[in-house]
Amino acid sequence: MNLKRLASLAVTTLVLCASGLSSAQSQELVVGSSATYRPFAYESPSKEIVGYDVDMIKAIAQKAGLKIKIVNTPWTGIFAALNNGDLDLVISGVTINDKRKQSYDFTTPYFEARQLIAVHSNSTAKSLKDLAGKKIGVVNGSTGDDMASREFGKTNPDIRRFESTPVVISELANNGLDAAIGDNGVIAFRAQEHKQLKTVSDPSFPKEYFGIVVKQGNKALLDKLNAGLAAVKADGSYAQIYKKWFQAEAPALPAQ
Amino acid sequence: MEQVLWFGWFRADIISEYGVLFWRGLQMTIAVTLLCIVQGTALGLSIGMARVAEARHAPARQICYYALRWPSTIYVSFFRGTPLFVQILLIHFAVLPLFINPTDGLLISGEAARDLKQNYGAFLSGIVALTLNAGAYISEIFRAGIQSIDKGQIEASRSLGMSFPRTMYHVVLPQAFRRMLPPLGNNAISLLKDSSLISAIGLAELAYAARTVAGAYSRYWEPYLTISLMYWVLTLGLAYLVKKLEARYGRGDSR
Repeated sequence: MNLKRLASLAVTTLVLCASGLSSAQSQELVVGSSATYRPFAYESPSKEIVGYDVDMIKAIAQKAGLKIKIVNTPWTGIFAALNNGDLDLVISGVTINDKRKQSYDFTTPYFEARQLIAVHSNSTAKSLKDLAGKKIGVVNGSTGDDMASREFGKTNPDIRRFESTPVVISELANNGLDAAIGDNGVIAFRAQEHKQLKTVSDPSFPKEYFGIVVKQGNKALLDKLNAGLAAVKADGSYAQIYKKWFQAEAPALPAQ
Repeated sequence: MEQVLWFGWFRADIISEYGVLFWRGLQMTIAVTLLCIVQGTALGLSIGMARVAEARHAPARQICYYALRWPSTIYVSFFRGTPLFVQILLIHFAVLPLFINPTDGLLISGEAARDLKQNYGAFLSGIVALTLNAGAYISEIFRAGIQSIDKGQIEASRSLGMSFPRTMYHVVLPQAFRRMLPPLGNNAISLLKDSSLISAIGLAELAYAARTVAGAYSRYWEPYLTISLMYWVLTLGLAYLVKKLEARYGRGDSR
C-alpha cells in the first residue's frame, strides 16, 4: 500500500516535471514594439497592434514555430525592457548600427530604410547641409537624431528631441520646427497627412536596414529568428507584406 | 571618446560629453521654476480672492457671485482635476497654435509667430501650463489662508466702513500670508519637480538632458541619477529659502 502510494507519487511528479518542461519549450515569447510608428507598428481602432513589423514578426514566428505575444512598449524604455528580461525580442523599426551592435544582437535585415527629411512646402532645403541653423526635430535616440547630431553637434540647441514621430510632425506642422528627420516609411506616411509639408530625400544619406533585436548572447533565439526570416523571404511572404504596407515592390535584402 | 568609469560602473564620460546640455538644462529648469512661482503666486492670489469675494448689495453681490466666484471655482476645479501632463500637451499642441500661428493666429500671426514658436514655443507653452496649474493650487492655499482668519476681524473692519479690497489688504492678507508660507513652500517644490514634464514638448531642461543621454546610449543609471541629484540639491535649496522666510515673517506670531 505504502509502496504503491510512493510509486504513484513518483509517477505524478514525473508527469508534472515533464509537463512543466514542455510548457517551458512552447513558452510565449514577449515581443516589444513601440506602437506609435505607423505604418510599422500602430494601434488600430480596436486596440490591436498592427503594421509591417507586426505582420513580419508573425510570419517569422509561424515559420520558426515560435509562439509570440506583442506588447506595446514605449520607445524610450524599450531596450531597458529587453535587458531586464521583460521582453524577449524587439521589432520596432530598429536600425542596425555598430553602436547598437555593441550592446545587442541583431537578426539579418527585414527592411531597407533611409532617412528622409520633412519640411514646409515652401522650403528650399535640398539636403541635410541646408538645414544648418534651422530648428530640426528628431525622435530621441533615433537614427535621425544620430545624423543631425553628427552634422550639427550633439548638444546643439537647434536639435529638438521628442518621444515619437507623430509629435515631431505635429510640432513641424504647427511651425515649431523648420524640418524633421526620420525613417522614410514613417516620415513619408506622416507628411502626406499634412498638405503644408513635403519630403526631401538627401542622396548622401546611407542605406540602412532594420533588424530584430535580441539580448546579447541569446544565440538560440537569434538562430531561430534568422531561419524564420530566411523562409519568409524565400517563399514570397516578405514581398507580399511589403506591398501591403508600402504599395511598392520589395527591395532585395542582404543576408549578411 | 574614452570611457571613464567611476566606482567601476558609473560611465561619467557620457555625462560630461553632454555636459553643456545638463548645464543649460539646469538654467532652464531654474528659470521656468522661478517664473512660474512668481506668476503662479500672483495668479493664485487673484483667483483665491475671487473665490471668497463678497458684497452686501445688488448689483455688486450678483457680480461677485456670477463674475468672480463661479468662474474661479470652475477654473480651479479644471486645473486641479486634470493631469498637468495632459494640460501641457493640450496647451502646446492645441491652444497655443490657435493664438500664435503664421497663417491665422488670433493673437500673433505672420513671420513673428513663426519666429516666436520656433525659438520660444515650448518655453511659452510650458510656462503657461505650469503657471495656470500652479495658480489653481496656490489659489486654494490663499483661500484657506484667508478663511483661517477669524470672521470677526472681517466683520469688524467692514463695520468700520472699510471696503472688501481694503479689508483684505490691511487686515486679512498680512496675517494670512504668515500661515500660508509653509504650504506655498511645498508648492514651489512641487513646481520645480513638475517642470520636468515640459521635456515632453521638447523644452531643453534637466529631464530633457537626461532623456537625450538615455536615448543616445541606452544607459539609464547615469543620466537619471545625475539629474535626481541636481533636482534634490535644488529642492533642498528651496526648502532652506522657505525656512528662512518663515523665520523672518513668523516673528510677529511668536509674542
